[in-house]
Amino acid sequence: MSIGRQVTGAGGHRLPRSPLRRSRRVLGGGAAALVLASTLAACGGGGDGGSQTLTWYINPDSGGQAEIAARCTEAAGGAYTITTAVLPRQAAGQREQLVRRLAANDASIDIMSLDPIFVPEFAEAGFLAEVPEDLADQFTENVVPASVESSTWDDRLAAVPFWANTQLLWYRKSVAEAAGLDMSQPVTWDQLITAAQSQGVLIGAQGLRAESLTVWLNALIESAGGSIIEEQAEAPEDIQLGFESEPAARAAEVMRAVADSGAVSPAFSTENEDASATGFEGENAGFMVNWPFVWPRALAAVEGGTLDQSVPDDYGWTIYPRVNEDDPAAPPFGGINLGIGALSPNVDLAFEAVQCITSEENQAYYFTTNGNPASNLAVYDDPEVIEVFPQAPVIRESLELAASRPLTAYYNEVTGGIQRVYHPPASVDPGSTGAEAQELIGSILAGEQLL
Amino acid sequence: MTQTTLPPVEKTQPVSSPRGSISDRSRAERRLGWMLAGPAFLVMLLVTAYPILQAVYESLFSYRLTDPNNRSFVGLGNYWVILSDPLWWQSLGVTVLITVITVAVELVLGFALALVMAKALSSIRPVVRAAILIPYAVITVVSAFAWQFAFDIDTGFVNSWFAWLPGVSADTDWFGDFGTSLVVVCAAEIWKTTPFISLLLLAGLAQVPEVLQEAAKVDGATWWQRMRKVTIPNMKAAIMVALLFRSLDAFRVFDSIFIMTGGANNTESVSFLAYRQTIARLEIGLGSAVSVLLFLCVVLIAFGFIKGFKVDLAQARGDR
Amino acid sequence: MSSRERTWWIVGGILIVIYALFPIAWIVSLSFKSAADIANGQFLPTTWSTENYSFILTGGASDLFLPALRNSFGICLIATAISCLLAMFAAYAIARLDFPGKTLILSTALAVAIFPVISIVTPLFNVWRQIGLYDTWPGLIIPYLSLTLPISIWTMSAFFREIPWEMEQAAQVDGATTWQAFRKVIVPLAAPGVFTTAIIAFFIAWNDFVYGISLTSTSAARPVPAALGLFSGASQFEDPTGGISAAAVIVTIPVVVLVLLFQRRIVAGLTNGAVKG
Repeated sequence: MSIGRQVTGAGGHRLPRSPLRRSRRVLGGGAAALVLASTLAACGGGGDGGSQTLTWYINPDSGGQAEIAARCTEAAGGAYTITTAVLPRQAAGQREQLVRRLAANDASIDIMSLDPIFVPEFAEAGFLAEVPEDLADQFTENVVPASVESSTWDDRLAAVPFWANTQLLWYRKSVAEAAGLDMSQPVTWDQLITAAQSQGVLIGAQGLRAESLTVWLNALIESAGGSIIEEQAEAPEDIQLGFESEPAARAAEVMRAVADSGAVSPAFSTENEDASATGFEGENAGFMVNWPFVWPRALAAVEGGTLDQSVPDDYGWTIYPRVNEDDPAAPPFGGINLGIGALSPNVDLAFEAVQCITSEENQAYYFTTNGNPASNLAVYDDPEVIEVFPQAPVIRESLELAASRPLTAYYNEVTGGIQRVYHPPASVDPGSTGAEAQELIGSILAGEQLL
Repeated sequence: MTQTTLPPVEKTQPVSSPRGSISDRSRAERRLGWMLAGPAFLVMLLVTAYPILQAVYESLFSYRLTDPNNRSFVGLGNYWVILSDPLWWQSLGVTVLITVITVAVELVLGFALALVMAKALSSIRPVVRAAILIPYAVITVVSAFAWQFAFDIDTGFVNSWFAWLPGVSADTDWFGDFGTSLVVVCAAEIWKTTPFISLLLLAGLAQVPEVLQEAAKVDGATWWQRMRKVTIPNMKAAIMVALLFRSLDAFRVFDSIFIMTGGANNTESVSFLAYRQTIARLEIGLGSAVSVLLFLCVVLIAFGFIKGFKVDLAQARGDR
Repeated sequence: MSSRERTWWIVGGILIVIYALFPIAWIVSLSFKSAADIANGQFLPTTWSTENYSFILTGGASDLFLPALRNSFGICLIATAISCLLAMFAAYAIARLDFPGKTLILSTALAVAIFPVISIVTPLFNVWRQIGLYDTWPGLIIPYLSLTLPISIWTMSAFFREIPWEMEQAAQVDGATTWQAFRKVIVPLAAPGVFTTAIIAFFIAWNDFVYGISLTSTSAARPVPAALGLFSGASQFEDPTGGISAAAVIVTIPVVVLVLLFQRRIVAGLTNGAVKG
């Protein structure tokens, strides 16, 4: 019977941890991390036969991160062994698990796959080890701008860009043609609605009460030229919110129009990415905004014999729809950045491992096998990638346009408030919902209301 | 199930011993009693009384786990924030609604099940009894998933099976609005917990003296009259205990809502609200205050039952 | 009873069986649907597939599911054993001895039983993370006692009250030693009660969800109900319906087996504890 901490890599280091951590802060930087590691090695205890075990907390995927961990372990030639621990599926759940552990001063977290939206909160709470200056340049060179932006907090690189996700506008070529839409030109949400109504087909979007709803709303507001957070502030109650702006009202209008169009699934208010993808494989499919995973998903269904080859053959893809005809779209941005636990006794090794994990080769592998696009732009020139993902050039273009969701240490409060006010989308009122959100999130940030 | 044994007091008290030895003996017995029951008693206090006191203390602070430097004493401020927030009252309303609906339905359904079990022929009784225990023993989370998947618009069969019912079609999105979400949540809760109520009622049924039934039958009372005048009054204690336990249990509803709706469409219960403040938002102060309020609600319900309806647990135990 | 009446009661019995088993049948059926078949809108799979079982037992989710299964068994069994042991002493004192704390202990047990779990999870989480019990087996076993101990005390003292203790003295009069009398007379009489109590306590611990999701975060201690929420489909955006169903079926098997084997005892235990105490 094994009662106790099975995942803890270096249980023996638990006592000397906090003084060391303090000293590291004073010194700062990679050199200090090196000092720290050698000090710890001198303390003895950890590691079996010189090989340190690094624990990497990963979000669920189709096994890609576990495979990369194995590859990097092998490449390290015994310097370290990476083991993976799986986090929940939903972004909010991943944050909960990590924050609880980190708040419990758990030193066993070496590397974590972080949804970019949580980087500021983690950095602000001191949960993330700072990226050494000399590595920072290497980690951000030729990388998707939104990935870099979302990894940065307080003008320093707080996390390492790993993969970058973005939503595309997926359409059925036959439907677009019948509706007379020229998909080589940018299209607007209004055009999509009209086309879907005229053809009697569905628009897939994520209307359920979850992070996906914030993804959608943020893309709409940014596409209309606004921002959810207009001005950052140190104290949460001083953050300036942009829900009452003109672009936010326009975004609400679009959201309501889609929900009321009659061209969405009857289960629109509980529709998630998977449900959208299912709908898009179905008979009434027309248009859909969704992440690139829908492509391998459809191909797998063809392979499994449950979908006809003609269906993915009919798939078309382009840049996310515009809100206003003349403003460029700001597609949703997602993906994963890698954070290094501040309490990890193996910070320098962890950064070494992260260099391996985020290598061009591994990013290309992850893209082609798991459908998760790379943050390194060089990967998009890889012919193998283009062969597996004919969408790669569009994804790259979309990523360069993509807008992050608001970067704030209080992201959880902001998104929670949005999900409360803007759900269900059919209840959104362009005239009043913005003011309601402004009021609610304002008082939540000020600690005057529950969430 | 009538009580056949004598109360322990009469058994252990020797009839003719000198006075001094009685008090010696009872003192020793008292000490032994506490030595045996003490550990269990202590453990119970340790795992509940201590945390709730801690919660009361924490509830007086504004304290966010990811921002420990800003911890500050706010007195009853958190309670004021909660009690003046419509969200709290709405969660409370939803919780009460779920409690009332499920307990009422369960009582009627449970009674019917108990009657069938009481009358069921001995040949099929074990089968019925085993079947009815299964919902009781199944994990709530599993039951919640089963019901959710059954009603889900993509994976479910309910829409295609019951399309003939008014208001149900292939496109019915059960989790799309408040009313229908609540129907599914309540259905899952009712399925899972009715067996417990019906077993309690079955035990109560067995306590109704057969003589009275026969006498009423001889007097020409109808089945319904016998039920109302003889059976139910004689089961009052069992019914009340069942009601008390289930109401308190239903009031704490969490698992089903967590799995099925995640609190969407205003289906959040008080437990869920407390969970989200503490575990999801890490607002330890606010979350503790919600927990304390929830605890007070439960105490109030229990107190209301015991005083208002005169639920006498001793009587229900058969010690009359 | 007329034969017409008899038919009706049999029909009623069959209806109850259907009522009780239908959702279980549904989740079993769902667990045998392949990923492509899961949205077929029908009760039964078009073709029976075991891919969901291989997914959780040997495939992608086995790293999540198997440790969780081990944790669930280990933690629940230990919590059950500890609470039965403690309850045994307490129930003996309550049933056999005359001391003034009896009512206090029984009412404390009752109060703990009605306690809202969520109210203690917050402070426990806070204390656990400070003393290092967070995400460990003892970190779940201790709170599980708050669920299992009260019902164990109630159920067991109800059973112990029905034991004819005077038989012990009778045996002693017949020449048995105290220990022999206890072992030969009392233990056989008390054992069924203890055993039944253990089953009920195990059900309650097995059912826990709130502690499981709040006080754990890795497969070091995470029990199955909490692990179900972590499954994922082929990618992070795809729903793991099939895997969840298969895991749900597997965790239901032990309780169904217990129910089938010991139904009579369980019923007696449940009703004794609550109605008679």
